[in-house]
Amino acid sequence: MKTFMRYLKRYRSDALWATLAVAVIAFVTLWQPHLLQDMLAAILKKDDQTINQLGIQLIGLTILGIIASVFNTIFSARAAQGVAADMREDGYRQIQKFSFEDIEKFSAANLVVRLTNDVNHVQYVVMSVLQQITRIPILFIGSLILAIITLPKLWWVIVLMMVLIGLVSVFAFARMGKYFMKMQTILDRNNMLARENLMGIRVVKSFVQEKSQIAKFSESSDEMTDTTIHIGNLFSILMPAFFLVGNLAVAGSIMLVGQMVTSDPGALTAVTAFVSYLMQILFAIVNAGFMMTGVSQALVSLNRLQEIYDTQPSLTFPEVPDENLSGAIEFNDVTFTYPGDEKPTLQDISFSVKPGEMIGIVGATGSGKSTLAQLIPRLFDPEKGSIEVGGKDVRTVNEHSLRQAVSFVLQRSTLFSGTIAQNLRQGKPEATTTDMSWAANIAQSSEFIERLDKRYDAPVEERSANFSGGQKQRLSITRGVISQPDILIMDDSTSALDARSEKLVQEALAKELSHTTTVIIAEKIASIIKADRILVLDHGQLVGMGTHHELVRNNPTYQEIYRTQKALEEA
Amino acid sequence: MSDLKGAGKFFAHYLRKYWLGLLVVLGLTIVATYLQVKAPVFMGDAISDLAKYLQVWSNPATRAQASKAAFNSALIKLMWFYIFNAVAMLISSLIISQIAGRSTGTMRIGLFRKMQRMRVSYFDTHSDGDILARYTSDLDNIFNAMNQALFEIFSSITLFIGMIIMMFRQNVTLAWVTVASTPVAVILAAIIIVKAQKYVNAQQDDIGKLNGYINEQITGQKVIITNGLQKDSIAGFMKHNAKVKKSTLRGQIWSGILFPLMQGMSLFNTALVIFVGSSLVMNQQMSVAAGLGLVVIFVQYAQQYYQPIISLTSLYTMIQLAITGARRINEVREQPDEVNPAHGQELTTIDQGIQLKDVHFSYQPGKEILHGVDINVDPGQMVALVGPTGSGKTTVMNLLNRFYDLDSGQITFDGTEIKEMDLFSLRENVGIVLQDPQLFSGTIGENIKFGKPDASDDEMIAAAQQARIHDFIMTLDDGYDTMISDENTIFSAGQKQLMSIARTIMTNPKLLILDEATSNVDTVTEAQIQAAMDNVIAGRTSFVIAHRLKTILNADKIVVLRDGQVIEEGNHQALLKENGFYAELYHNQMVFE
Repeated sequence: MKTFMRYLKRYRSDALWATLAVAVIAFVTLWQPHLLQDMLAAILKKDDQTINQLGIQLIGLTILGIIASVFNTIFSARAAQGVAADMREDGYRQIQKFSFEDIEKFSAANLVVRLTNDVNHVQYVVMSVLQQITRIPILFIGSLILAIITLPKLWWVIVLMMVLIGLVSVFAFARMGKYFMKMQTILDRNNMLARENLMGIRVVKSFVQEKSQIAKFSESSDEMTDTTIHIGNLFSILMPAFFLVGNLAVAGSIMLVGQMVTSDPGALTAVTAFVSYLMQILFAIVNAGFMMTGVSQALVSLNRLQEIYDTQPSLTFPEVPDENLSGAIEFNDVTFTYPGDEKPTLQDISFSVKPGEMIGIVGATGSGKSTLAQLIPRLFDPEKGSIEVGGKDVRTVNEHSLRQAVSFVLQRSTLFSGTIAQNLRQGKPEATTTDMSWAANIAQSSEFIERLDKRYDAPVEERSANFSGGQKQRLSITRGVISQPDILIMDDSTSALDARSEKLVQEALAKELSHTTTVIIAEKIASIIKADRILVLDHGQLVGMGTHHELVRNNPTYQEIYRTQKALEEA
Repeated sequence: MSDLKGAGKFFAHYLRKYWLGLLVVLGLTIVATYLQVKAPVFMGDAISDLAKYLQVWSNPATRAQASKAAFNSALIKLMWFYIFNAVAMLISSLIISQIAGRSTGTMRIGLFRKMQRMRVSYFDTHSDGDILARYTSDLDNIFNAMNQALFEIFSSITLFIGMIIMMFRQNVTLAWVTVASTPVAVILAAIIIVKAQKYVNAQQDDIGKLNGYINEQITGQKVIITNGLQKDSIAGFMKHNAKVKKSTLRGQIWSGILFPLMQGMSLFNTALVIFVGSSLVMNQQMSVAAGLGLVVIFVQYAQQYYQPIISLTSLYTMIQLAITGARRINEVREQPDEVNPAHGQELTTIDQGIQLKDVHFSYQPGKEILHGVDINVDPGQMVALVGPTGSGKTTVMNLLNRFYDLDSGQITFDGTEIKEMDLFSLRENVGIVLQDPQLFSGTIGENIKFGKPDASDDEMIAAAQQARIHDFIMTLDDGYDTMISDENTIFSAGQKQLMSIARTIMTNPKLLILDEATSNVDTVTEAQIQAAMDNVIAGRTSFVIAHRLKTILNADKIVVLRDGQVIEEGNHQALLKENGFYAELYHNQMVFE
């Protein structure tokens, strides 16, 4: 809430004008019955001149009201848009400071929802608050005061009406709360059933379980229908009950005025104004109820955004001058545990790599291969121990120097919509076409890029849907090598390539990037068989290190992996 | 316009059986409206009577004759009208809640039923999110419109008409004054709605682009981090954000201004009626008491007169959304169902084998994937399909249990074309283990018994043992009763695959298809799954598609597919000897030099 006020403050003048305009509208709405009362008194007195005067006042006042409502809308929209755009921007800037860990903590999809849906909720509510909510208290309090001034003896009618409305609301909403909770659970279950049937439609069809799934879904859906109707019934009571209470208050007031009219003749002309104020009070209460639901939703969204702003990036880089780092890598007794995990993912890992070496990392799923690689460009910090790149502890160099030295090709190749060239320049902003075709030759992507009409200016569609899995991986490798990095890390990034292309990539890497330290993580032993050294990981521990031939002879973990992959006749 | 027609048909279809309820609602609405528009007359009468009483009373000569009887009777009528009005509203609101709730339920189940009948091609060509949105936002929009709009439309229209009739019966001149501003208001509303629609569409376009950008960037955040691209990413965002800010401002102003403006018009109209009404009363020389009553009545009308117009304009978006929802659900309803031949032959055994003869197939017309594939499978044989990505391996599987139908050629089981067989009998006897096995919410036991819900626990345990997952299940606190769902599962990728194998064993299929069942796991896990698969394959006619050749070396026959054609065929040894495509594939993948 505090943060929100900070944002609103930036649009202080818009919000102020919007509120002022609303106050004018409320004043007009309140003053009309009062003028009506004077008008009726004038009719009783047959006073032509007063009638004309009051008429002009009335019309002038409403024109003022209309102008005010136009201004109110414009200023409200300006404030709402300003707040929303600023909140979105700050959220986005904050996310750009996030580390891998922070992103994973929220999940990318969740962050997107917060920046889109949640910001929209806040925007919508700011708009309606500025358009409506300030008007509600003004109308409520104003009507209350004016009603009491108009017919002071009937104050208790107003109180009675408010108490009855309160009782009806408490009765209905208390019951509704229970059903709303139930509804949420049923809704989630229903959606899950629909989703799993959608994703598993082949399973359902091949097991011929359509009927049983329909029965399961129908049961859940019927329960949802019943709950919906329960809620609907409670809602059905609300409106008629509110109106009945309001209308009976009106009739009651007229009756009471009838009793006192002989002692207080002015009450006769006052009663119409009083009745109008009663109705205004009723509408104010009902509108306030509806607004509350919107505001409570916005508060939830606001909290979700607040979580983004409040997240301290788990990694920060020191502000030190740039430096050139060599391709040497050193792990000193490194232990790493993911937040929330009990067991460490990596335990007491030590090794060192000389510039220009080619290192393979193998191990079963979950052995910690990817985690180890991600520690080199400092995507995470270890819990214990230290990692050095080019002889420097990675925690002591600035982000730019480290990114410059280390190029990381991720397991899941992600390209951005735009052109091929734009994607490749993410690896090297000043890359020329020559640079691109050099890199494409290494990654074996030139054969398909050259066949495209616009070659490097060919478009990349959203989700890179116009490229196959293998092509995406090759483009992603191209982006990774284009800067001729000192260290190249490939995290299972040739899995979608056929054996022949993979071999060609490896040969080209060895030839063209012979001074680059290459770290290759692989499922297949064939991918790393030629490495200078292979690290074998098992449950987070480094259980072997050596060439393929050494490991095949003396490392049991490696032998088992090898056995599952080698050909029959070699067994 | 065609949208409107489709929506009309859609609602007619689902609301037809509630005709009586809707008729009652219509009747009650008319009653409620009559009561609502008649009430101000009694209020005016009451005030007039009171004024007359006061005049009589004020004159000492006539004070004795002063009577409040007329006033009291008007007041009592007013109160009864209010009570009946509330009762009528309550009953029709309750009926509508039933109709909206039940008919949406019918739509939801209908959609699910339809989904179970549709062809697989629909699911392959539409995103899950898009189909799911029909269950969530589209059905929500339809429900909201029925629940709120239905009554509002009825009552707004009858209220509007009723009020006009009442006004003209009371006083023609004042009635004309009250309705005079209507054309202005309606034209104003129409202009604003058209403008708002244009700018809101532009706004939605820009928001869509911004959301697309945010989604793409944040999903690819790891690439941004590893390449140090944060500043570029922010710069791109700023451009989109500024655009959205500008276009949303416009959209919000135009769509937000309608309601306050209409309320302003209502106030203005009331002021006009008070002014003109009062002058009129003065000039027409009517009695003060009658004049007072008349003004009171028309103030009540003027205050209510704009309500129907305001409600209808604010319902506009809601109705629009419901029409879109109806169109999107109709789209699904109109999809073709799977074809099941009448009196199809039951599949009982596979004695003579399976033949694919000159099979041609394309997913999209003109883009043929399989160009005349011939494969012969003897009963009990294990046949492996290998070949590069895109060679058509998985397509062959899609044809065997009729997820898709052939363009030409034929597939026969024991000489009977599968088109001639009962679809469900065919599928019951063809078991598939998929690359990405979907588990369903429920217990582990229910998932294993998925294809045979009436199986005994002994059968279930035997299947789990054969699939080598029993021991793991027994380590869980609740064993086979452990609740699982696909999203929140306790299984690793490899164990999930073992579950899917157990599920298939349960149904004891005559033909087994394993579609790249081990491509998502490491090779050590693969070896474990392989052992379970060997248990299922033993003695059964089976098709195995493999990405990694290690899993199919023992096959009775290996069929090599490339670009939709069979290029080599034989067992492992024979194909190696042939020294063709298979041999190259094998050497590249399996032999370490």
